[in-house]
Amino acid sequence: MILIGERINGMFKDIREGILGKDPAPIKHWAKRQFESGAHYLDVNTGPTVEAQDQPAVMEWLVNICNETVPLPCCVDSTNPDAIEAGCSANKHGKVMINSTHADQWKMDLYLPMAAKYNAAIIGLAMNESGVPKSASDRAALAMEIVVNADMHGVPMEDLYIDPLMLPANVAQEHGIEVLEAIRQIKALAPGVRTTLGLSNTSQRCTNRHLLNRTFLIMCMAVGLDSAIADVDDEALVDAVAAANILLNKDIYCDSFLKTFRQR
Amino acid sequence: MGLTGLEIFKQLPKTNCKDCGQPTCLAFAMSLAGGKASLDACPHVSAAAREALDSASAPPIALVKIGVGDNAIQLGNETVLFRHDKRFEHKAGIAVSVCDTMSADEIAAKVDQVNKLVFDRVGQTHNVNLVAVGNCSGDAGKFAVAVKVAAEKSNFPLVLMSEDASAVEKALEITAAKKPLVCGANAANVEAMTNLAKKFDVPLVIKGADLNELATLVEKVVGMGHKQLIIDSGAREVNKVMADQTQLRRQALKKFRPFGYPTIAFADNADAFQAVVDAGVYIAKYASIVVIESADPADVLPLITLRLNIYTDPQKPIAVESKIYEIGNVTADSPVFVTTNFSLTYFCVAGDVESSRVPGYILPVDTDGISVMTGWAAGKFTPEKITDMLQNTGIADKVKHRKVIIPGGVAVLSGKLGELSGWEILVGPRESSGIASFLKQRWA
Repeated sequence: MILIGERINGMFKDIREGILGKDPAPIKHWAKRQFESGAHYLDVNTGPTVEAQDQPAVMEWLVNICNETVPLPCCVDSTNPDAIEAGCSANKHGKVMINSTHADQWKMDLYLPMAAKYNAAIIGLAMNESGVPKSASDRAALAMEIVVNADMHGVPMEDLYIDPLMLPANVAQEHGIEVLEAIRQIKALAPGVRTTLGLSNTSQRCTNRHLLNRTFLIMCMAVGLDSAIADVDDEALVDAVAAANILLNKDIYCDSFLKTFRQR
Repeated sequence: MGLTGLEIFKQLPKTNCKDCGQPTCLAFAMSLAGGKASLDACPHVSAAAREALDSASAPPIALVKIGVGDNAIQLGNETVLFRHDKRFEHKAGIAVSVCDTMSADEIAAKVDQVNKLVFDRVGQTHNVNLVAVGNCSGDAGKFAVAVKVAAEKSNFPLVLMSEDASAVEKALEITAAKKPLVCGANAANVEAMTNLAKKFDVPLVIKGADLNELATLVEKVVGMGHKQLIIDSGAREVNKVMADQTQLRRQALKKFRPFGYPTIAFADNADAFQAVVDAGVYIAKYASIVVIESADPADVLPLITLRLNIYTDPQKPIAVESKIYEIGNVTADSPVFVTTNFSLTYFCVAGDVESSRVPGYILPVDTDGISVMTGWAAGKFTPEKITDMLQNTGIADKVKHRKVIIPGGVAVLSGKLGELSGWEILVGPRESSGIASFLKQRWA
């Protein structure tokens, strides 16, 4: 299970102030803290307050700080292709991840060649400009579009992470079961293709967010989820992932499996 | 493992003509992968694509049969790289070779020796499987004589080892009814050999100079309509054989069709020790047939044993035979231990009895190979069964005393067991590691 730490995002006040004040301290703090919590990737997002023309430079600055602080690859999270490219070329550890393309042709034509060029992993959202599909099979059909295009561009299936898109449980309750079924179907689309999930969406504006998030995460893991963008600061969530890894026979059991999982 | 949407889509014409009833070829591929449509719905799919999709749903490694009757062997149908992932299915066949440069009497004597290579392991018999006749002389007449002698004498199917088509044809006229393996075809003789294998309907070994040539040759032979194949990458040094065997298995499991056949390997090192070690490597690493030269039981027994172990099903508990085991120089005063016939349990207890330095008898009760506590919970480790062992194995004639030590975990059995058997029941420690100190305190 690959955990992508979500916290370095300009939507959060401390990160936003760090970016605006050119203060690396909060970015360093969260890079280190997420690394220690067991993250495998650091999601890096400039947030919407940074002007579009400044986003590439800010992205590069963020990735560099992360790289200097911890030996983790970054998951470059932006809707701005120049910012994505800047992040890809700045990343120095492991395999950079692009977050994200969706199933519209113009977007795939932009980002899949970029993934091939930088030998990057890439997240593909199972949606298009008409929005998030309702049923599992519609999600899988859009995922298939991304799979076929990735294959054409020579992006290995192991580097493609399809996100079936979870919506908040309070307003879109019927989506949960569709997402579970979609993950099952996506795993059957092509040998080796991976799945991911923007997990915190599950509990947007709900109570008991941590409980909802980790419960859904382990349900998804059971049907083949390979990674998640999540709050790794939530100790119970990381514990649940470690436990699920044991129960899915992905890690060899030992009494100290919680500690072992965090040591990677 | 069904076909994935991507694999199907790549074979479709990509016209998006909607004749199949789906809006796009991609949607059609998806419904095929989901089992909701049939390939027949697409009028434009090519014969080659249909063939590719059909063969993709076949098992990754074909099943090939050699010989007829009770001693026929089946090879292939393997599905994993590591036995712990599932299991290895069909035990590698061990072939012992004779040469046509030997006299008829020598050949008959060696084949007799091979027939006797039958061993008793944990209550089952295991034997070699094939006699390989080599055309070392290069002479078709001599080869035919050698094959005739071997075929008359041998209990096992033959491997006809000659790359000369006319020699193979003569040999097949003698023995084709017994479905021998022809070994075989190479780049130079592939057409002639394939035609012979087709004519006599026998399995054929394809040897390439390397993996690339092998793939080309296999495609050619399959194109000629023969599919009972065993493959050989041509490598002969152990490290190269192992690398090639790994590639062959790995690619086959990834559905690379030309490598989807069982393999053959040759352990013909002049040093007998080295030959056995080499053969051991091939047994562990995916060879379906291993050809050896020695018919010496001391060379063959370790290979039979290794093969048995490698090809056991890791998901089934392994049991030891349920009988009296004597640890050390036992006397009529030695202690008697009861345990179960789960091999892990038995060897734990046996090891600890041995290290206690007190000779003892161990009686493993037949619990279908499950442990003490599991056997007790499942009603398979009962006072009745233990009593049965105490009364019917002859242990009562071997010892003067009537005391039996039971595992501490099943102390609860002691009352009933005492009544039923009439023996005095000593409740031993929960762990067999406590046996040594238990004996010091309780067994004077």
